[in-house]
Amino acid sequence: MLGAKAGYLLPTDCARRLLAELQGALDFCAERQRQLERSLRVSRRLLQVWEPARSPSPEAETKEEDPTPACTPSAEDLKELELLTQALEKAVRVRKGVSKAGQRDRTPSLTSNAATAAAHSQAPSQAGSLASGTRSTKDIQWTTVPAKDYPEGRLPPRGDRTRVRTQAQAPRSGPGLRNQQMTPSAVPRATEPFTLKEKGTLLQLPVAFRKAASQNSRLWAQLGSGHTNDSTDAASAAKTQFLHKLQMASGCPSHRPGAAEVRAHAQSLRKACMLLRLHMQKKLSTAMTEQPPGPCLVEKPTQALSLCGEVDSFWCPELLIYSSTKELQTLATLKLQVAMLDQQIHLEKVLMTELLPLINTQEPRGPPWLALCRAAYSLLCKGGEDFLTVLRDDPAD
Amino acid sequence: MGRRGPRVQGAARALPEAIAALSRSLPAGPSPEIFRRAKFDRPEAAPVLWQLLLRVLSPLAEINTCTDQAPEAQALVVKSALSSQGYPRSVLLQFPEGNSQGSRELLLAVSWLLARGPLLEQLLAQTRVQLGDQLPPCEWEALASPGPSAPLVETKSPVDLRLVEWLMGKLRIRWRRLISSQQEQCTLLSKIHLYTHGCHSEQNLGHLSVAETEMLRDPESGQQLLQALESENIRLEAALEWRRCQLVFWQWMDTVLDACSPESPAVTSQPIVLPMISEGGLAELELVKQELQALQEELREVAEPRRAAWEAQVAGLGRGPEWSNTRKALQEAVEQELEALRVSWEQSSNLAQPQRPHRLVRRKDGAARAPGLQAAKVIRTLSTQEACLRKALHQLQSQCQQELARLVGALPGLIWILAPGH
Repeated sequence: MLGAKAGYLLPTDCARRLLAELQGALDFCAERQRQLERSLRVSRRLLQVWEPARSPSPEAETKEEDPTPACTPSAEDLKELELLTQALEKAVRVRKGVSKAGQRDRTPSLTSNAATAAAHSQAPSQAGSLASGTRSTKDIQWTTVPAKDYPEGRLPPRGDRTRVRTQAQAPRSGPGLRNQQMTPSAVPRATEPFTLKEKGTLLQLPVAFRKAASQNSRLWAQLGSGHTNDSTDAASAAKTQFLHKLQMASGCPSHRPGAAEVRAHAQSLRKACMLLRLHMQKKLSTAMTEQPPGPCLVEKPTQALSLCGEVDSFWCPELLIYSSTKELQTLATLKLQVAMLDQQIHLEKVLMTELLPLINTQEPRGPPWLALCRAAYSLLCKGGEDFLTVLRDDPAD
Repeated sequence: MGRRGPRVQGAARALPEAIAALSRSLPAGPSPEIFRRAKFDRPEAAPVLWQLLLRVLSPLAEINTCTDQAPEAQALVVKSALSSQGYPRSVLLQFPEGNSQGSRELLLAVSWLLARGPLLEQLLAQTRVQLGDQLPPCEWEALASPGPSAPLVETKSPVDLRLVEWLMGKLRIRWRRLISSQQEQCTLLSKIHLYTHGCHSEQNLGHLSVAETEMLRDPESGQQLLQALESENIRLEAALEWRRCQLVFWQWMDTVLDACSPESPAVTSQPIVLPMISEGGLAELELVKQELQALQEELREVAEPRRAAWEAQVAGLGRGPEWSNTRKALQEAVEQELEALRVSWEQSSNLAQPQRPHRLVRRKDGAARAPGLQAAKVIRTLSTQEACLRKALHQLQSQCQQELARLVGALPGLIWILAPGH
């Protein structure tokens, strides 16, 4: 019985090539995994409670901390509040002419007059999103960027970039509420943490961003439209002429393709092979169900097989619409499986190239050779997943 | 200068303005003055142009590290990349690494890259600000052959084949992990899209993406995103302007080329340090050739019996005009199909840029609002592709099984016991 003791040592250059290929494959996965982990971190963080970012403060709080209840403001907090209040007042001055404070849904979260604040500034339109009507609102306006960056005449009724301070004291938000006293001792902790699940629909993108984003997609569309006119035609002609002249003026007038070109060409041919193969399979599978061609059969030309669907402009933000988590998962998994199969096929070919000749040439046919055959069978025929047992039935016994 | 008329003055401004637009759209764009000096082969223009070429030719993954290298190493990267792309002028290759010679040659190289293809568009696409969520592009083909950049594996001691088996197992586990992580990411994305429904100003989109939500959570990153968008917009506008006014640049480059002495063939007969076509490239072509030949053989096997059956069927239909019309119609239909296939192939290979992944948008089923690619359609296509690949893999595996049986079966006294259940 051939146990696990017997091994087979690969010739050096063969080993080097095999290991290089496998390492390349492993690195490919590792790189994808790294990128995925990065994205996962960001997404997970978004779905947890949002920690208020203290942009003016030098210390970086960890974002994963859960807010601890702060029932009594400390002196430090009060000072901070004072600074923030000043900043906010300035912001408010800039935004004069905006809808009255009374219409906004913001109120200072912690005042002893929580009830009055709630009474006078809770906008009825916000009733749906602020479920608890009696407590003061949890959403607080906070401009982290100087208001001049977001020039707007009117604030949208929904909180503009609503933020929630859970630990620090909230700044007052409107001139109308300036006169309210702040009684440190009687400050209730009115703020609830912000979660995307509950309040995600309140978010709104800042105007400056929206402008830049729409300009961005407009410019990309223009760049990608590639529509030709007289000037572009003249330029193309001039470019072709330049290239030709340069080629002629160089030592080798005939074009010698570089490595990158060769690789690109090989890839393109592989793609052609795949397209033809897919088309053939499609034809074969439909032919099973079709009637034998009759005189009136004229088949419509099948749609060009292109994964990316609408092809009118490469640059426009093409959308991929999905309708459920399951669908998205299926799609993503299929993509990965296709890449995995591509890799497996490649590795299979590499292994065939390396191992089969070894089996042929290895002499004598002793235990190492058997180990080689056994491993080769497992790798080449079972993708390395199964192993077989080799029983040597010695005729001499 | 002052005596020129306004029209000529305008014309004289056109070139520097065109170059300025070009420079604004490039990632490390030199000033028009550098270009002018390069025409006269001035040494001070050389380092700037080396940097530009380095930035333009380095793959995106290496951009950050490439500037840390010594000038000699940088120059080597540039030369290697140019040669790999098939740059015909070898004078540049012979300049000693990284000194101040040859600014005119560098200028020619830059222009060659610009003229050949959509360089600006490619560079912009490389660093494009992603506002939406995408499924990460996952093309194994793109990294198919571990070319010259393959990790050099040092094998000091002889390698047991069991190491290969173990690495294959490790690879399998990595894929499994990748798939499950991806599924988790899909769940999270789906939730974020659901929770921010109705927040986006764009009706088409309907909800926020991770990047947009993150921007709202962390204003600092929001600022960065905004700045990135704004600088990209500047580059895009510059690229569009360049498109409009580039003709004057090409006319000028003509004069630059005239100023260069043509290379003598003797120069290039010297062995060039960098191979024009690497071994890997030829091997790859060989593999593709085999693949195509195998496919051709398959097609032949499949088509022959059908053709025979069809001929037999058709023979009975006679030669009437009705039949010849039908036949013509069938031929046309087939030609159209082949044409569609060819077009689809050309499209996918002419887009030298990698396909840009689509922005994921969650929409209730039945909301048949165009535009947009439906996930169900992509799933169908991918399923077909996956089935096709799986079949190809199984074919290879059974091929190996037969081969092994042949090689090993000759030996008497060996019993191969397969694992149970398979």
